[in-house]
Amino acid sequence: MAVDFVVDQTEVQRALDAALGASKADQTEALLAGSELALTRYTHNYIHESMVERNWQLSVRAVFGKRTGVASTNRLDGASIAAVVARASEMARLAPEDNDFPGLPGDGGPLADAGSVYDEATAELPPEARAEAVAEIVRVMRRSELYAAGYVSSRTDTIAVANSKGVRRFFRSADSAINIKAIGPSSSGYAEGHARRFADLNPDALAQTAARKAVDGADPEVLKPGKYTVILEPPAFREFLGYLSWIAFGAQPLDQGSSFMSGKIGEPVMGANVTIRDDFAHPQGLGIPFDFEGVPRKQIALVERGIARDVAYDSYYAAKLKHPNTGHALPAPNSYGPLPLNIVVDPGSRTLAELIASVEHGVLVSRTWYIRLVDQKQTIITGMTRDGFFLIQNGRIAHGLKNMRFNESIVDALNRCELASELVRSESHVLPAVRIEDFNFTSGTEF
Amino acid sequence: MEFENHAQRALDTASAQGAQYADVRFGSIRDEHVEIRNGVVAGLSDAESSGFSVRALVDGAWGFASSASLDDDEIDRVAALAVEIARASREVQTHRIDLLPAGKFVDTYKTPVEIDPSTISTSERVNYLLNVDKEMRATPGVTVSRAWIDVWHTDKLFASTEGSRITQNLVQCGSALTALAVGNGDVQDRQYPGTAGLYQTGGYEVINAAKLLENARRTGEEAVALLTADQSPSGTKDIVLSGDQVSLQIHESIGHALELDRVLGWEANFSGLSFATLDKLNTFRYGSDVVNVVCDMTCPKALATEGYDDEGTPAKSIDLIRKGVLVGYMAGRDTAATADVGLAGVVRAEYWGRLPMIRIGNVNLLPGDAGSLDELFDGIEDGIYMESNRSWSIDDKRLNFQFGCQIGYEIKNGKKGRLLKNPTYAGMTPEFWASCDSIGDSSLWVAWGTPNCGKGEPLQTARSCQGASPARFRQVKVGVGYGG
Repeated sequence: MAVDFVVDQTEVQRALDAALGASKADQTEALLAGSELALTRYTHNYIHESMVERNWQLSVRAVFGKRTGVASTNRLDGASIAAVVARASEMARLAPEDNDFPGLPGDGGPLADAGSVYDEATAELPPEARAEAVAEIVRVMRRSELYAAGYVSSRTDTIAVANSKGVRRFFRSADSAINIKAIGPSSSGYAEGHARRFADLNPDALAQTAARKAVDGADPEVLKPGKYTVILEPPAFREFLGYLSWIAFGAQPLDQGSSFMSGKIGEPVMGANVTIRDDFAHPQGLGIPFDFEGVPRKQIALVERGIARDVAYDSYYAAKLKHPNTGHALPAPNSYGPLPLNIVVDPGSRTLAELIASVEHGVLVSRTWYIRLVDQKQTIITGMTRDGFFLIQNGRIAHGLKNMRFNESIVDALNRCELASELVRSESHVLPAVRIEDFNFTSGTEF
Repeated sequence: MEFENHAQRALDTASAQGAQYADVRFGSIRDEHVEIRNGVVAGLSDAESSGFSVRALVDGAWGFASSASLDDDEIDRVAALAVEIARASREVQTHRIDLLPAGKFVDTYKTPVEIDPSTISTSERVNYLLNVDKEMRATPGVTVSRAWIDVWHTDKLFASTEGSRITQNLVQCGSALTALAVGNGDVQDRQYPGTAGLYQTGGYEVINAAKLLENARRTGEEAVALLTADQSPSGTKDIVLSGDQVSLQIHESIGHALELDRVLGWEANFSGLSFATLDKLNTFRYGSDVVNVVCDMTCPKALATEGYDDEGTPAKSIDLIRKGVLVGYMAGRDTAATADVGLAGVVRAEYWGRLPMIRIGNVNLLPGDAGSLDELFDGIEDGIYMESNRSWSIDDKRLNFQFGCQIGYEIKNGKKGRLLKNPTYAGMTPEFWASCDSIGDSSLWVAWGTPNCGKGEPLQTARSCQGASPARFRQVKVGVGYGG
């Protein structure tokens, strides 16, 4: 019977111990990440792709003094593990010394409890259940003479880390998602749901949201480029924050001076109503309590009431910049340095409906597409609206609009914003909708 | 013959469970990566994985499953699971998937390699990159220097219930350097070669051809010079794009637009649809008469070149745009059956465990007749030359785009002038390609590889190529994002 390194904790730990035992390096780290991803895609109201992918990877970091090397494999028999350790050691011996390398981290103490993150029913969701969810979505679409495209997914992930300084970590989680684009003759509408338990997702309700947007957006009109009050719903706002994480909220961009936070820790950088944290333990989030070096994740305030407070650190940058390690390492090696992966934005006081009602003349963006960085220091991004772009007139959704391109500084925008009161999970982040004044739309497209 | 026995077992199991068609792919990959950052090793890694996947068609519905375990029990489980998934898919079916006949092939393909990468030791690669990195930082003001080398090996076996047995051994190599300068309240970066480095099929000769060491100092100097350069202007101007920037323009506004799964709505939720709908085939004017684009999966050195794709279709070249008119799409056996178009062999998976799908292959803009950049500048009174991409964005039907480049130069009265920072340009795809009036000749043409194209749910990356020369475009909107 095949060994399952996705769910079998004993076998995972055996593999990690075998790696450490086979190593003659000064220090050794073994990271095993495994996943089983089940995903069913549909379009035109039928399933066109459906899959289950199962794989794992053992990554070994060997350390000789200030030299490190990494090798990985998904063959986890004794000989293959010994071979990957030998390859990592050989790489490390060839590497020049990195005087900033502090050595592998030790056991950082007990882990915080992020609650239940492994739901067996979700982990073992059969393809028939995913198909039934698609069928529910399709039934809603047919009632509105629409068709839908999207996916229904469930997954199990295992992350385990051990090192020769005593670190021993194991984490297993399940997660699920539904993604719906409702499509009509001249419009489309979007809805998404993410939950640790598949049973907490409601395909019918999500489908109704997507369908309503597609119906309301029919026969879209053209809006002239210019600056408008905009409301970004969470899936759109999430992309803005994801970019900030990458270009600004890690120790590497802070250190190299390319982050807008560089030299500004302790200074106001955004509106006083904006607080952005990284919080792995948020009940709606992923709940992974340690990083890829096995260090306990800390909950950190990145921007607190508009003041730049902190960024994410791993063991390397913590030592280099003499800052506590916040437990945000990515798997070694990586070009990005540590990153916050669980952004949480504190909510405001008014609901999304109240925010919409407060807009005299503006637009609502359901989803964005193909956001790219135009200017790193100014945090200017460009991107397109997608799948639900509406004119708001006198506090009400007036009609659909043809999609538009925007060019906007994220940080500037968060200096003139109001956040909604409802927190929603979108991918790995938890955040509200946001209202932004004078948002810059630069051109339109044909649909 | 172990793989042959495994393959037959998977196909027999799938057939016994009720699949009318099945294929199985066994694969192993090895990715070697060396990266230097500011004089120290930022990445020295050697990653390998192997496993298999089964794709089954049951009553016109697909199922797919993969696993890293390679024993008989797991092969039986995965093959049966693929069929079970297909049966579940059948329960929500308004369209029956058919396959265009592909033929039966028993064949072997190997990437032509001049210099076996295994003959270049890791320490030799490290030392070379340390010298490259040092050259970049010879210019005061370079804040971060990075340089890297990738060597990728892929061994794969494809077997189908139609009798195909295809073994392939692929080698792809690439390298790049990048210099980041921070100062004067600004951040500027330059990368070489091109935007993503030089990535091609072949051995270590691909790394040597990139000439990183010879270009490191210049690249660092340019990054620093950009900090004090004038802002590229806004308005409407004639522009000339470097070959690597044309390559990205092809990728985004032609390559993705002509993937047939996207045209048919199979990517509607994520990657999007395409404006280039089937009713436009053979009539739609995609660009000017000088615009000729092929998908050539046999192109020497090109990053996507293989003998066969991951559903057993042999590589060939097809026309996509001929004298500016849309004449073809990139298709798979299932989508081609729907739309009645030909196959080039572009259905590929990221690796052995992922579902094959239509991916941009080698989508090449055929060379024109301009023999030099100066010839392209000739006749431009007031324009901008832009080189190497910094940002790229296009709508989900591939119409409205905005691209930013790393470096620009003013063109005045046909001559290259002052340095400009943050050049951007924007437009609508057909109008933009219609404004192309001159393309560099074959001496300027490079098979630029894109190593990290994203598509699909779950997301897969793929390696594509867009061969291109520099090209000239008339009256394009520039400076968007910086006040334009």
